[in-house]
Amino acid sequence: MSAEIEDLLKRYQNYPNVSGIIILDPFAIPIKTTMEYTLTVHYAALISTLTYKAAKMITNLDASNELVTIRLRTKVHEVIVLPSENYIIIVVQNPGT
Amino acid sequence: MSKIYLKAMEDVVQRNTDNTNRITEQAQGFVVSENAGDSLLHTSFDLTTAQSIVKHLHASFLKLAQSCVRDLDTDDKLCFLRVKTRKHEFLVSPEEAFTVTVVL
Repeated sequence: MSAEIEDLLKRYQNYPNVSGIIILDPFAIPIKTTMEYTLTVHYAALISTLTYKAAKMITNLDASNELVTIRLRTKVHEVIVLPSENYIIIVVQNPGT
Repeated sequence: MSKIYLKAMEDVVQRNTDNTNRITEQAQGFVVSENAGDSLLHTSFDLTTAQSIVKHLHASFLKLAQSCVRDLDTDDKLCFLRVKTRKHEFLVSPEEAFTVTVVL
């Protein structure tokens, strides 16, 4: 598990434009982060709530379907959320437009 | 007032028929809803499916996503939202007065 997380961090961190990576456990506690701590906790609280609501929303629309990923494009940056079984990966990137 | 407003929206929908036809060539369908009252404006789905998408996705989840982005940075704004599931993908574009969702 820990080695797996390290591999994930290394893989995503090498991408261009990636400005931050946070990995949460299922209880929305940050395990690993490349961002400043206060911002990490802020992202963790908000994005984990959003992820759980998204999973529930998908189930409401179609009971046999399930959530794979969420992408939030804002004016400043883009937040990509990848929920998996044991943790939630949050990647913040600045896509050049 | 509301009737005049809805009439204007219907005119916009009529003028964009070419665009919506092009969307339906690539995607499963689309849903357009008004932001003020979360009412359905235009869709290529059947009414039950469209109302379900408006209720769960536009009225509930999109508002939550927008408030999350606002909480993280008060100057920021949600421009586009993609929710990928195992069966299909929802592409949500929130605008000033209406919201467009394309289901891929």
